[in-house]
Amino acid sequence: MRERNRWLTGYALLVYAFLFAPIVVLILFSFNTARRGLVWRGFTLDWYPKLFANDELLDALAVTFQVAIVAVVVSTVLGSLLGLGLARMKFRGRGATETLLLVPMLTPEIVMGLALLLFFLQLFDAHGSVPQLWVAHITFCISYVAVVVRARATSMNAQLEEAARDLGASAWGAFRYVTLPLILPAVIAGALLAFSLSFDDYVVTTFNSGVGGSTLPLYIYGAIKFGVSPEINAISTIIVAVTATAILIAWRAGAFRTESDRPVAETT
Amino acid sequence: MTQQREISQIDLQKELTRYMVERRVTRRYLLERIALVGGAVALAPVAAACSTAGSTASPSASSAAPATPAGSAPASASAAASEAAASLGPPEAELNILNWVDYLADEVITAFEDKYNVKVQQDFFSTTDEMYTRLGDDGGGYDISFPISVDVPDMVARGVIQKLNQAAMTNIGNLGAEWSDPGYDPGNQYTVPYMWWTTGVGYDPARITGDAPTSSKALWDQRWSGHISMLDDYQEVFGLTLIQLGYSANTENTAELDEALELLKQQKPLVRVYSTDTITTMTSGDVWIGHIWGADRYAIQETLPDFAYYIPEEGGVKGSDTVATFSGSPHPNAAQLFINHLLDAEMSAANTNLIYYMGPNEAAKEFIDPAILDDPTINPAAEIVDKLEELLALDQSVREEYLARWTELKG
Amino acid sequence: MRGLALLAPGVGWLALFFVVPLAFIFVVSLGSRDELNRITFDHLSLDNYAKAFDPVFLPTFLRSIRYAALTTVFSLIIGFPIAYWISRYGGRHKVLLLILVMLPFWTSYLIRTYSWTILLRDNGVVNSLLQAVGVIDQPIILMNTDLSVILGMVYGFLPFTILPLFVSIDRLDPNLVAAGRDLYANGRGAFIHVTLPLTMPGIIAAGLLTFIPALGDFVTPDLLGGPQTTTIARNIQDLFLAGRDWPYGAALGFILMAVTLIGTLVALRTLRREVVGGE
Repeated sequence: MRERNRWLTGYALLVYAFLFAPIVVLILFSFNTARRGLVWRGFTLDWYPKLFANDELLDALAVTFQVAIVAVVVSTVLGSLLGLGLARMKFRGRGATETLLLVPMLTPEIVMGLALLLFFLQLFDAHGSVPQLWVAHITFCISYVAVVVRARATSMNAQLEEAARDLGASAWGAFRYVTLPLILPAVIAGALLAFSLSFDDYVVTTFNSGVGGSTLPLYIYGAIKFGVSPEINAISTIIVAVTATAILIAWRAGAFRTESDRPVAETT
Repeated sequence: MTQQREISQIDLQKELTRYMVERRVTRRYLLERIALVGGAVALAPVAAACSTAGSTASPSASSAAPATPAGSAPASASAAASEAAASLGPPEAELNILNWVDYLADEVITAFEDKYNVKVQQDFFSTTDEMYTRLGDDGGGYDISFPISVDVPDMVARGVIQKLNQAAMTNIGNLGAEWSDPGYDPGNQYTVPYMWWTTGVGYDPARITGDAPTSSKALWDQRWSGHISMLDDYQEVFGLTLIQLGYSANTENTAELDEALELLKQQKPLVRVYSTDTITTMTSGDVWIGHIWGADRYAIQETLPDFAYYIPEEGGVKGSDTVATFSGSPHPNAAQLFINHLLDAEMSAANTNLIYYMGPNEAAKEFIDPAILDDPTINPAAEIVDKLEELLALDQSVREEYLARWTELKG
Repeated sequence: MRGLALLAPGVGWLALFFVVPLAFIFVVSLGSRDELNRITFDHLSLDNYAKAFDPVFLPTFLRSIRYAALTTVFSLIIGFPIAYWISRYGGRHKVLLLILVMLPFWTSYLIRTYSWTILLRDNGVVNSLLQAVGVIDQPIILMNTDLSVILGMVYGFLPFTILPLFVSIDRLDPNLVAAGRDLYANGRGAFIHVTLPLTMPGIIAAGLLTFIPALGDFVTPDLLGGPQTTTIARNIQDLFLAGRDWPYGAALGFILMAVTLIGTLVALRTLRREVVGGE
């Protein structure tokens, strides 16, 4: 047992190394003197102050977060309900609902992007806007959340919630104190996936963002023509550093000690 | 038919440039002349905040740009500006631009914002096709963007592009004579040329040893197998190959296209990558010789100082971007003023000095880094320009023929 | 009944903002173009579909499936043990460890990919290391190959595998595994007969969330690939943008979606039946 643990831990560290290897390079190159290209020319801190003077880049960052936060909150709620409903209910039309959930994921991005563009243009004469980006991002995030939550809820005993209700809990109470804690890890996982999907989306975003709606990926891809500058590495480094610090503080404060600490057995 | 004319104009341009550089024609002289031509000096209200950008323009060329006397320039610039404004209503408070990243110098935008008290909002795209999709049928909420010249006739026919108010184009005289009546937009009625470029071959002399290559056949050379790149752009790739075969880069003859495809299939095993991101592929060291856009050479040279670029002896491809405003433009007056602003000699020069693309602006040459003006790959000699062919907007059926072969090549 | 209440908001959202827009594009796929390249609906037809059944797309389609399948397999093999480790040994730090899996993906996709280029190029870190260790004399070509594409895709989709796997493994009652170990007298038997069947919903979800987006990925093959790494999603993108032919692009898109959907549903049904049998 202990042997296995050590082996697995070593393996886990390797996987984390794989995940972070390019991030180390990315951070390193935020201190590169070369304006573009992939060759190390020397150490500088210049890109950080430059970054804070680049209004277009900062605006794009603000739009990106604004879109991502709305998309994550709404798609997590809708997707979780959808996943839960699918896992629990055996009814006619489940197959159709399941298909409805799959299709957005397997729609080529360009098809989805242009479909939404046409939809807003034809019905609302809208040329793209931040709210249009909310709608677009929520739409492609829902399925991911739902699939993750469904996987967790499938093996859950639906009678638990009923038992709670028999014991006098309100519908909300039963959901809040029984069901939610059980699916919470899946909800968190779904939200994390949704955030990274929204944060990095390019194709759907470009066709649905209007005036003043350029997100970070739009800015970064737009910069390829003349070479992407280390400013982008710098902004990525700051995001990683701020997130890591926030996580660390939250962790020290005990924020992550949820019910998910121990696997919840079907209390039989 | 215009080719003959172009040669003489290019010669004239070069002569004029040399003259200006030799005689140190000053910015002040030039601006005064522009103001005189405008004929509105006396009426000009002196805007206090205007054109501080003039003195900070073109940092990369600061060593080269002639020193200018301060003081007189703002007055003359605003004279032209107010005259432009007089023929329109007052500019709106905002201006929306759909653009590449870094395609406009910051000082150009700041100067415009200060001069007209307009807030400029830029959004970005990464391919021209994306730009066209976002512009839609009326500009998609944007006032200004940069269509490629060959796509202009279609966009005019579809009513996407808004006709220019010629009275507001007070700086139009700055254009070189060869740009005053371009085939894609006679008389610059709808657009104004912005920048032009060539496509050719770039290589790292440290890797490409022996005689310096001069032909596009170097991209088929077995010795560089695994280190050759081609642009990921079907019209450019077929264009280069067709020219090598002695055909037009815009051929509609499917037999010629098949021949080109055959040649490209022979090349494919030698190719490392099809990519338009040549700044990355070249500087990574994996590609030694590649099909590149001429202007990218400068970005690559920041990493590989000896990096060389040539236009193939068989002939090369050229293209140009225009500036246009659109039928649904929410800020039409500001848009017209902005287009005129880009025609300003110093503004045009500031943009060229930033991105290393030659503009069509004759008057700008005084302010352009001489290193750029003297570079035969950016500002080629007449006999080279003679061999350049512009890629045309293909008819639907022809486009399909190209794209089908491109799909087959890359499949 | 309560199921419907749970489903209604999500289904309603997708019906309005996905199905209706998709119907727009479907109508486009039946249209044609006039001489100014505008879409017209004068005579709707299936011509574009007939045209899209072109063998020229077969190599890229098969390649896309191969990339997606290999990406899924490698992601599951790499992802399962770490998801298991986080769930079993993560203790109070589980959420922290999960967020760490996601953290690299809150940078820019393009810059991460450039970082891989720096690692994989001819004179890159990996080649230098291999040469220093003496495994190779000359740099080997890693960039612009199938290898670099699949590596890039596995990297990109690993979180989509790990998170659903974790969520499912974390539901597993350790007592069941312990009982299994007693029953089968070894870890492997317990794993095959207890852990694997009980976490199958998670494995299916992880496979779906990896395979389907991987099938649509064309940016990774473009940026890390070479002359022979074009995927079907890139063909579709080219028809829409470079070809400026929305009806044709839409038709090819719908064919791809139909094929993928049917394949996925069949695979799901088969897998679920096995799961039900296993329980």
